Amino acid sequence: MLEVSDLKVKYGEVAAVKGISLSVPEGSIVVLLGANGAGKSSTLNAIAGLVAYTGSIRFDGTSLSGRPAEDIVKRGISLTPEGRRVFPSLSVADNLHLGGAAHASGEELKKRVEAELHRFSILRERYHQKAGLLSGGEQQMLAIARSLMASPRLLLLDEPSLGLAPLIVDKVFDLILDLKRRGLTILLVEQNAERALEIADHGYVLQTGQVVLEGTGAELARSDLVKQAYLAE
Amino acid sequence: MKNFRFAVLAGAMGLAGLTTAAAAEDVTIGLATAQTGGLAYADQPSLAGFKMAVDEINVAGGLAGKYKIVLDIKDTRTDTAATVQAAQELVAEGVKVMITPCDADPSIAAGQISQPAQIPTLTFCGTTPTITEAVGDYMFGTYPADNGQAALLADYAAKKGYKNIYILKSPDSAYTLRLPEYFEEVFKKKGGTIEGEGTYTMGQQDFAAEVTKIKALNPQPDAIMTAAYEPDFPAFLQQLRGAGVTAPIIGSDGIDSPTITGLGAIANGIVHTTAGSPVEGSKLAAFYDKFKEKTGAAPETVYVATGYEIPYILDAAVRAAGSVDGPALRDALANLKDVEVLTGKVTYAGTSRMPIRDITIVEIEDGKRKPILTAMPDPADVPKP
Amino acid sequence: MDVVLQQIVNAISLGGIYALLALGLAVVFSIVSLVNFAHGELMTVAGYGMFFAAAVSLPFPFAVGIAVLFAIIAALLTERFAFRPMRKADATGLLLTSFAVSAILRVIFQNGISARPKPVPLPSGFAGVIDIGFLHIGIVPLLSIVMTALSLAALILFLNRTTLGKAMRAAAEDFQVLRLMGIKANRVIAVAFAVSGALAGVAAVLWIAQRGSVDPLMGFVPVLKAFVAAVIGGLGSLTGAVAGGFALGILEVLFQAFLPDAALPFRDAFVLGFVILILIWRPDGLIPAPVARRS
Repeated sequence: MLEVSDLKVKYGEVAAVKGISLSVPEGSIVVLLGANGAGKSSTLNAIAGLVAYTGSIRFDGTSLSGRPAEDIVKRGISLTPEGRRVFPSLSVADNLHLGGAAHASGEELKKRVEAELHRFSILRERYHQKAGLLSGGEQQMLAIARSLMASPRLLLLDEPSLGLAPLIVDKVFDLILDLKRRGLTILLVEQNAERALEIADHGYVLQTGQVVLEGTGAELARSDLVKQAYLAE
Repeated sequence: MKNFRFAVLAGAMGLAGLTTAAAAEDVTIGLATAQTGGLAYADQPSLAGFKMAVDEINVAGGLAGKYKIVLDIKDTRTDTAATVQAAQELVAEGVKVMITPCDADPSIAAGQISQPAQIPTLTFCGTTPTITEAVGDYMFGTYPADNGQAALLADYAAKKGYKNIYILKSPDSAYTLRLPEYFEEVFKKKGGTIEGEGTYTMGQQDFAAEVTKIKALNPQPDAIMTAAYEPDFPAFLQQLRGAGVTAPIIGSDGIDSPTITGLGAIANGIVHTTAGSPVEGSKLAAFYDKFKEKTGAAPETVYVATGYEIPYILDAAVRAAGSVDGPALRDALANLKDVEVLTGKVTYAGTSRMPIRDITIVEIEDGKRKPILTAMPDPADVPKP
Repeated sequence: MDVVLQQIVNAISLGGIYALLALGLAVVFSIVSLVNFAHGELMTVAGYGMFFAAAVSLPFPFAVGIAVLFAIIAALLTERFAFRPMRKADATGLLLTSFAVSAILRVIFQNGISARPKPVPLPSGFAGVIDIGFLHIGIVPLLSIVMTALSLAALILFLNRTTLGKAMRAAAEDFQVLRLMGIKANRVIAVAFAVSGALAGVAAVLWIAQRGSVDPLMGFVPVLKAFVAAVIGGLGSLTGAVAGGFALGILEVLFQAFLPDAALPFRDAFVLGFVILILIWRPDGLIPAPVARRS
């Protein structure tokens, strides 16, 4: 579904991504592991159209090169950015509304909001509150719900469990599995390697902007590199 | 290039003490005036009139019938530093006469460049009477000076029977500050009293606080005198009348603009000075018609006429001097007497090079300006600058 | 006593105009970090709209409509042809662009229309006074207060009830994420400029109602007032802009009304001195913008 080859991202003189290739098959969960600064977020941002890059990114065989973020989400790729980034002074309702406004209107938009409220019942309780007043976990739910309002086929999740209480982290991973069951393809960036590899079909380990290891979730979980670097007790 | 060579040649011949006998010579007049920026409202129309007169004079053979005028026009962008630079360039090019903007500061700055080079320099419509003394004997005004206007207005107010007058002034410019002060000086000398004094910031536009104060005065003043102009004056007037204050207003030539008559009924009864009023049958009216015929649009301001008069004042001076040589031209200008121009007579003799000239007082009535009197201010009344 | 009340009405009326001006700056700044110093020229364009409308004898309400329309069009044109090509520039580059736009527009007015002021006559009823109890309120200040209130109400409705309005608020908080939602950046920015233009148009009508004329340099003073008001309120904060506008208006009127005569020429120094005190007390303004911007 998504084919990335020889992706390079530079911020000024600093190269954040130095030639990454990866592929995300339809209906799978693919995880990117790596330390801070390994180039994970930059890779997601490049796919979502937020940063300029060289190399090729193809979605369903079509090149996304040079397309702006607004266009890429319309093609079915939705990014939930790191740090949730809900619109704090807007209500939960308005956050959801804006998530879908460019993709649906009228009854269809209402239907999508209702579907997300059904999926995340906590958001129904908080519906008229300002998003900035929500807890971290609630904000994460809202951020994902907002991304889903676009009805994407590929969801890019950037550190969805970061900074959340363990109980909430469980909920997030349950949610990701549930989304996969419903046919969504997911590219996940996650620091919690143990949990991520449990649900991943395939994974890539990134170091300083390059892929140093790849394999199925189970293979990676067994590898010495991952054990030492990310699963160390 | 040709002018430059001519200037060098003329300079060389001047040094050798020779006089030329060429039938037609070029004389370059340099203009360092503000065609853009805050002074363009005055300098643009002045230049339009100036150019028209130059064309006419050249058709007739040039200044004094033999010196064809070549213009070197530089835009100073209402920037004093740019004015100085333009003046330096013009002096270096060897212009014979220089024209400076409609304002004291850039005129003085430019005059200080041309004075040592012995180039007679005239300000378009700078009215501050101290301009000429600040520069020296090559600097000339052309427009009715502030103290002259104020003297004539004070005389008018006293004769009208006004006893107490409220004065509104702004310390932001010499014109808006000193003109009312000159008025106050003369008016008091003639037995009047100043009921109160207000201050405004130029461009502040909100006069509500000031107007509320005037409204609270008891007794109300017989009249309100100010040298405020646009945009302050219309704002003040609207808010004053809006508050129900009915005292008549005495203003200066700064409000001689179509905006004021465009204000409608509230402008009725305003009395103000102007360099000239195009009464039917007057020379000025004929000029306005001619200007309209030539450019397609009637002059928006009397500055067009005062700009037009300057080349003719120069023409009179060159005729008297018999040359365009700096010192000779300076002396001739300084001794001019009763030169007939569009708006009346202009006299430099006996002044400190700010001319004494006819000033008209008009009253606004139903969108028209009705002349009340045209006169030269009594020299005994005119306050020292 | 009634003089004090009268001055309070004056302060509200002036503060309202400043609030509209500051809002116009804040709406754009909150989204693209541009202090648009050409905002004053949008007012000038609106003023010429009124002038042309009066020249062909259109009734006053139409003249107001044309003024607002002209300002909106001018705002959109400057956005499209000056600010959009400079979108990637830093704050300084954008600021300089706005100075350039402002200077170019002024020269176009001076050489294309006239360097002289053009009269904009108001309907004759405007010079009147309405008596409410012992208050004499001029029609123009009353009109200012009413139009300011209506404009603020319309803006609040727009920002809270429409998708575009919500998108603008969201853009002010996190523009990048808004783009991730598929909402076109160019569209939101253009709308912000249009709103800013509309505010400039309304402010221009009120400004011109006071002065009765429009000239090429008319925009200089209001844009400075708007900037000061926006800084007092907290640059980029919309509620702050309104608060800053009223604060500046009230300060100006109070100092003008109650400073002793000898100190009056220094009124602006007192006002700005007080502004400095406010900023020492609250360095980010009265009501700072809620969220630190992300890169």
